Amino acid sequence: MLDMTNRPSGLANSPATIASVRDLTVHFPSKRGMVHAVDRVSFEIRDGETLGLVGETGCGKSVTGRSFLQLLPIPPGILAQGTVTFHPHARCGACAGTGCDACNSTGRRPAACPSCTGAGCAQCNGSGAETVELLRLPEDRIRRIRGDRIAMIFQDPGKALNPTLTIGDQLSEVFLQHRTEELLDAAGIGPEDRGLAARLLGRLASQRNGSIDNLLLSLPPLRGKRNLLLDALRNNVAAALAETQIANPYQIIDRYPHELSGGMRQRVMIAQALACNPDLLIADEPTTALDVTVQARILELIKDLQKRRQTSVLYISHDLSLVRRICDRVAVMYAGRVVEIGRTDRIFRNPSHPYTRGLLHAVPTAATKRGQLMAIKGTVPELVDPPPSCRFVGRCPHEKALCRSKNPELAQISDEHSVSCFIHDAAGAADAPSFDEKTQ
Amino acid sequence: MVDLPSPSRAAAPVVRDSAFRVRMRRVRDLTAQILSNPATVIGSVIILAMFAMAIFAPWLTAPNTPDPYQMPRDWAATRMPPGTPGYLLGTTNEGGDVLYGVIWGARMSLQLSLVVVGSVLVIGCIIGSLAGFIGGKLDEILMRIVDVFLSIPELIFALAIAAVLGPSFGNIMFALAMVMWVKYARIMRARVIQIKNSEYIDAARIIGDSKLNIYLRDILPNSFTPVMVQATLDMGNVVLIAATLSFIGLGEAGIAEWGVLVSEGQAGIASGRWWASTFPGLMIFLWGLAFNLVGDGLRDALDPRTESSR
Amino acid sequence: MQLRDYVIRRLLVLPFLIIGVSMIVFALTRVGGSPIGIYLSHEMTPAQVAEIEARFHLDKSLPVQYFYWARGVLQGDFGWSGVSVAPVAEVFPKKLAATLELSVASGIVAVVMGLWLGTYAGARRNRPADHITRVVAVTGASMPNFWLAILLLIIFWAQLGWMPIGRSTPEIIALVPTRTGLYTIDALLAGNLVAFGDALWHLILPAITLGYGATAIIARMMRSALVEELQLDYVDAARAKGLPERLVLKKHARRNALIPTVTVIGLTFGFLLQGTVSVEIIFRWPGIGKWMADSVLRGDQATLMTYVLFTSIVFLVLNLIVDVIYANLDRRVELGK
Repeated sequence: MLDMTNRPSGLANSPATIASVRDLTVHFPSKRGMVHAVDRVSFEIRDGETLGLVGETGCGKSVTGRSFLQLLPIPPGILAQGTVTFHPHARCGACAGTGCDACNSTGRRPAACPSCTGAGCAQCNGSGAETVELLRLPEDRIRRIRGDRIAMIFQDPGKALNPTLTIGDQLSEVFLQHRTEELLDAAGIGPEDRGLAARLLGRLASQRNGSIDNLLLSLPPLRGKRNLLLDALRNNVAAALAETQIANPYQIIDRYPHELSGGMRQRVMIAQALACNPDLLIADEPTTALDVTVQARILELIKDLQKRRQTSVLYISHDLSLVRRICDRVAVMYAGRVVEIGRTDRIFRNPSHPYTRGLLHAVPTAATKRGQLMAIKGTVPELVDPPPSCRFVGRCPHEKALCRSKNPELAQISDEHSVSCFIHDAAGAADAPSFDEKTQ
Repeated sequence: MVDLPSPSRAAAPVVRDSAFRVRMRRVRDLTAQILSNPATVIGSVIILAMFAMAIFAPWLTAPNTPDPYQMPRDWAATRMPPGTPGYLLGTTNEGGDVLYGVIWGARMSLQLSLVVVGSVLVIGCIIGSLAGFIGGKLDEILMRIVDVFLSIPELIFALAIAAVLGPSFGNIMFALAMVMWVKYARIMRARVIQIKNSEYIDAARIIGDSKLNIYLRDILPNSFTPVMVQATLDMGNVVLIAATLSFIGLGEAGIAEWGVLVSEGQAGIASGRWWASTFPGLMIFLWGLAFNLVGDGLRDALDPRTESSR
Repeated sequence: MQLRDYVIRRLLVLPFLIIGVSMIVFALTRVGGSPIGIYLSHEMTPAQVAEIEARFHLDKSLPVQYFYWARGVLQGDFGWSGVSVAPVAEVFPKKLAATLELSVASGIVAVVMGLWLGTYAGARRNRPADHITRVVAVTGASMPNFWLAILLLIIFWAQLGWMPIGRSTPEIIALVPTRTGLYTIDALLAGNLVAFGDALWHLILPAITLGYGATAIIARMMRSALVEELQLDYVDAARAKGLPERLVLKKHARRNALIPTVTVIGLTFGFLLQGTVSVEIIFRWPGIGKWMADSVLRGDQATLMTYVLFTSIVFLVLNLIVDVIYANLDRRVELGK
């Protein structure tokens, strides 16, 4: 991403966040009107943390997660407003990505702003770090971020792997897209033997080859070099698979997805996602489609890899107990909005939005007594042209007239804990709802 | 399509729905769904127009020959272009009125498609459902016969049968029926086997229903959906194939049948008389198109994937 | 089941199907009047007739007759063609070359156009290009090809005079030595570009006519398969890896959409075989289709039955090939279901 030879030793003011979402709003037209699937969602992901994004099916959490990679279904979807800014990292210059003290063994360091090379300028807001706006990035630039700086794990590995390509083919694609130069280096094809041969190999390594290239490459003079390149590729793929504790990576490479178990497939997906040592991993319900016993192991694996590489993770889930085990902070989404966000321990000890409370009461724990498990009454509202009220109106046990006329904003109630509910709004104390008062 | 129950229906007291009412509602839902697709609507309109033309043929153009299916010949008005008074679509080399042929051809096509599709539906369904239900040796033998029949391309097979029987419209119908029943037998058999292995048939068996009862009451009424789609598509296909056979020369010369008329009009195209072939051909095309559109719409509406969500 | 076992099993069934078809063909020859009709005349004495009957084994029982008939067919004796006044086996290869040239040309038109149209439309779902393709697809399926042929002839031959009729200009093709019997190939082999152009020029209209229906079927299948594939998760997963849209479409979605389309391509070969009959009649193309149509009208049974037998075997073999390709392409397919 950056020229590594003259990159600065440090940035003026290294940002603590890796990405931040501001006022993200996504609409989907339907027969009955505009569906406000995601409505002014804002949050940030700190460098190296795991942020949980929790909510029911259809609350907009997946759409939010996909927006990081411009994978929103547009059209028909409409990006009404909002920004997703991202500070990409570059490979650590001191250790060439293998991990050293300078980069805290992550192999990555924040990339410097291209206009001030790290000194801090108006463009990077004084931080000196490179800043990109993901939602409005042109196709060729977002493509270089996808799979390299930001990777994604999908819900069902059985569906997210192409059934007719081998595991090796699919993992290779990541390296071929983002690690062309490294592959050529590993195969011992240096810049010194430029010319037709290197050009052809370069095309092969970046998947721009046609059938004529393939023919030329399979002929004797180039055949040896091509095989060197393919061997390097194979080794890279096997190394990536080994990272996810797959015991026999070289045997997996030539298998087809349907020949593997669900847990194995998800390991392959994770290997694929982490192949380029990304800065941010979007995990969209990565364990939902798996057996319970496999779930725990995959969860441990993600946690482990995250610790080791300090990768930031956006963990999307509907399962509160999972989120509690893996996340540093949690954002709770309801009907297209973030209703509560904060440190995991605070949210679980002191849930401060009626919806979060309802959710926690709906989860059985060892301490739950018989009859105490409560469902939230009512159903999720339809998001077609919603009125300017709180989205939880109608289901909230504490609602007041104010809740029906105005939508509460997300506001900080304590250190590292924000909630969007009038309950915590001191200014409107008179007609504000309160937890003590039930209106049923 | 996910059909959420409308509030009024959900609120209504749940009465014991008779099977008839359930079925009626399903037909109504199906009709509504079919009519929501513009292509299917166009197809239905064309079919209705064709049927009307076929049924009211004697009133639209009065026959002046003893056999109304024979083209009337006016040797004083051969090779008239379209728009000639009395001959709206022109006349053929032999003085046949193209409009007359077009209208009575519709009647002929209606007869043909109803007779052929009706008979293959009955034969195919009986043989296919029995093979599927009884299974064993009978199934094995019947399916091998079906395999052999399906090895010969449809049109070629029909052509060979019609050819050895000699050129006549009746022979074309017979040949088509001989060729097409196998398709229905196979579809019906697959469907019956699928139903036979479903849980509700197991349930019927457990409560001790007789085999005949299970066959007649549980299996047969539920297995018609796929053959009905095929039948709709074939209503168009048979006319297309019959016209091809007639065109090749296996129809009776001089009858008011579209394929024969296209063949008759072919002689004039070198001298620029395009109309005698064009109009009857257009009718064949429209007939086939209409049933294809409706058949596709029906198939989409009956798709099991959408059915399960209802 | 292993792919190899499946292929072997299908190959073992094939002869039985062919025997079944031959029995039907034999039955048809016996239904359609006396098979020795063309050898008889009114002046013959009953003794002479009996002698001819004996020569053709008509005095034996039906199974024995079938045996003799089948033995004849296996030895290349397909009978006497009344239309061509020559043994069927002698005329057939020459006529076949013409039909082969036509059907291969239209097959190429259909596969190339069909796949291209289907991909183009499927990748641009619900945009104008897609709607046009769907119209082509639905009209193609219900277009009687003899009518399309006549329409094209009315426009391009009778009115505009741009396109010729027949298979070639006799004076031009006469200069080309016959090697394969395919005029375009022969002309190329002889290096005669004028003859090649002439042969191609004659080929265009009939190939388009014949290929139109098949194009429609392939395009329609390709489109719906591609639309279905593009909605699957692995497509987004491929994008998430950073693949350019071109590769997502080409390497992932289109490749997988081709799998169901291959079966349809197999079916369209049967469609093309059938279609040659009326197209050859109208364009005066001297192939087996036109030959067969002539023999139908003149009661030449030997030719007709050879044609039926031949097309059925081609049809069966093509279907087998397609099934094997399909099974080979799709690792998920359950064989022998």
